[in-house]
Amino acid sequence: MATKTVSEFKKKNIYFKISEVLVTMASKPSGFIGLSILVFHILLAFLSPYLAPYDFKAIDPSLMLQAPSSEYWFGTDSLGRDVFTRTIMGGRIALTITFFGSLIALLWGGLLGIFCGLVGGKIDDVVMRIVDAFLSIPWILAMLLIVSLLGTSTEVLIPALGFFYGKGIVRVARAATHDVIAKDFIVSARARGHGNLSIIWNEIIPNVRDAILVEGAMRWSWMLLGFSSLSFLGFGVSPPTPDWGLMISNARGLMSFAYWAVIAPIVGLSSLIIGINLTADAFAKALGIDRSTKAPV
Amino acid sequence: MKNIIKLISFLLISLSVSFSSANASSGVFKLSHDLGFGKDTNLDAITKGRLFQVVIMTQNRLVRKNLKGVTSAELATDWSGNADATEWTFNLRKGVKFHDGSDFDAEDVKYSLMRVKDPDIGSPAKKSMSSVTDIEIIDSHTVKMKLNTSFADFPLLLTDYRLRMIPSGSGDTIGKTGIGTGPFIVDKFDAEGTTILKANPDYWEGAPGLAEVHVIAIPDGEARVQALLTGQIDMNRYVPFAQKKIFDGNSKFKTTVVPTGNWRGMVMRTDTAPFDNPKVRKAVRLAVDRQELVDLVMGGAATVACDTPVAPSDQYRLNMKCPQNIKKAKKLLKEAGYPNGIEMTIHVSTKEPTWPTIAEVMQQQLAKAGIKAEVKMTPSKSYWKETWMKKAVAMTRWNERPADSALHEIYHSGAKWNESYFKNPDFDKNLANARGELNFNKRKKAYQNAQKTLWEESGTMIPYHVSKLVVTSSKVKNLDEVEVFSVRWHKVKVD
Repeated sequence: MATKTVSEFKKKNIYFKISEVLVTMASKPSGFIGLSILVFHILLAFLSPYLAPYDFKAIDPSLMLQAPSSEYWFGTDSLGRDVFTRTIMGGRIALTITFFGSLIALLWGGLLGIFCGLVGGKIDDVVMRIVDAFLSIPWILAMLLIVSLLGTSTEVLIPALGFFYGKGIVRVARAATHDVIAKDFIVSARARGHGNLSIIWNEIIPNVRDAILVEGAMRWSWMLLGFSSLSFLGFGVSPPTPDWGLMISNARGLMSFAYWAVIAPIVGLSSLIIGINLTADAFAKALGIDRSTKAPV
Repeated sequence: MKNIIKLISFLLISLSVSFSSANASSGVFKLSHDLGFGKDTNLDAITKGRLFQVVIMTQNRLVRKNLKGVTSAELATDWSGNADATEWTFNLRKGVKFHDGSDFDAEDVKYSLMRVKDPDIGSPAKKSMSSVTDIEIIDSHTVKMKLNTSFADFPLLLTDYRLRMIPSGSGDTIGKTGIGTGPFIVDKFDAEGTTILKANPDYWEGAPGLAEVHVIAIPDGEARVQALLTGQIDMNRYVPFAQKKIFDGNSKFKTTVVPTGNWRGMVMRTDTAPFDNPKVRKAVRLAVDRQELVDLVMGGAATVACDTPVAPSDQYRLNMKCPQNIKKAKKLLKEAGYPNGIEMTIHVSTKEPTWPTIAEVMQQQLAKAGIKAEVKMTPSKSYWKETWMKKAVAMTRWNERPADSALHEIYHSGAKWNESYFKNPDFDKNLANARGELNFNKRKKAYQNAQKTLWEESGTMIPYHVSKLVVTSSKVKNLDEVEVFSVRWHKVKVD
């Protein structure tokens, strides 16, 4: 019988746990639906450039505001562009920016929260008051200021969204750390002479990881809504990039007679947000976290 | 018998009451403005922050255009020039009173017009009065304007919508009081909220049909359309043609298409690289398909322009063709040292609802010539202060002006609102020659030469002059179907 190294064992354990969580999530109807919608949107984001029947930016005065037909399934917009093409491509940028934004939010918010929870004292006080101060600033105003000054490129939007949505994670991570640091294994780790970094990496993160990941998943859907709000206001992606928020903004004035131009992006955006929310809920339940009693701050 | 007398008396009283109420001002007319100048918004017509939606109802000019666009009398009843058109005598309307009860006379004319030239005020309308050296008061109701040059079209210049008559010495307070001789009196001025005007019962053209006018600040274009739909306002003169279908066939609204000299465009600062090179500017203009813009943005309801600000109906308009020419645009870019094209950022806002769409369409058209354009949204509330005349490329819009005013104000090297920082001695010389030329054909040629220079070198791309879609509530009656500065507001009624 071949012996396994510790790292091989850990790796197999992680794969096992992931598959176990996924199976648990999919076993509930809401989790299955959420996962299916999310996977569908992710696949669409990857494949839409190959599936799109028309050029997303091709304008044509002779095709303005055509109603849905066999040729243009979702009709055309006010510039004669195919709404189906733009809808299936409309989530690519939003998904990419908010996914990486959420990762940044998880990383800095989670680590800072754990650090504050562990060290406590004045450092904790000062950092948390600064976080409180930032939490009091309406994120949309702050984001508008940032994109007005620095532009709306991906390099600006990802870190900016990651920063603003990470503030809430700091509180969740800190609270979860407080639950853990009083436990005996932390005391014994200290008694063994382990430093803060070692305790964070080996003892705290494995125990607060699930709570932070669930929080991150929820933040993702909020960030998606936030990013689409920016696009709706014209401060997200720049035209002619297809984006649901921008499409809704452009077509909202035509809603009473060209409903197709606005309904398609609304369905795209809302289905993705519902999918992420259902998935995050199922994820929390699969990990044994009760979000109804441990609501995010 | 007693009862019959009573009945007759009652009928007579009822008739007289209904007759008098039929002639009285009644109803409230609500309209909006875009708060374009933010907190600088005021009621002094000659300043940059003038709230023209109010000023045109509270103050009169000496000369206005009639409903056919021809120069006609307002507070001046008639006028005549001397042989070389360097002196113009205006006879003033008698018996006209300002809202504060004072009489309108020659002193007020001299004061109102000469303060436009005051360097401390820095009026954008200064160019319109630059040729006037002095205004001599002949008697209480006659003035003689002395010019530093012959100017055969001088009365036309006085139709400028900003040259309003105010009481002598009221310059320090006019920004808040708005006192004039117009059909409405300012009751409450609140630039960022609702400004309330009340009917002037002593108006010299007759008492207005409306009791009040409310002018409401709504900065966003889409919000103004929604305000009209929900009945918050009764008139919107800036409804995008793409939204015409919303109102067509709806008995609650009336739509009118009014051809105008108003235009939307894109400004390239001629003092900023790469647009400091005339070849680059012309390449950008040649790469634009103007007819496609008219079709896509205006639903066909506009007149193609070849970068001239002069209105299609103006006698001095240079009519030419300027089809998209990608090959020539690329050639010019190569000659200018940009064989691989250029990159530019077009700054837009929703202050003008069509700007983002114009920029988005141009983005595709310019790409064909190797010009990579990014469309950047900026806050609408501060657009005129923070973006326009600040950024290298930004969208612009202008209302109709007489040819001479438009050319002077937007392109003359000394103009305050020279938005593209355009400086061209030949252009300035043509304008000077036109003003001094008594022969109409020669004058026309000079103005048209100036427009040719714009086509070759200017920094402003003007794709079309808009036909305006004016949408009013069906309750609004007697609204003249002309551009806003020629409307006779005292005739308007609301059921």
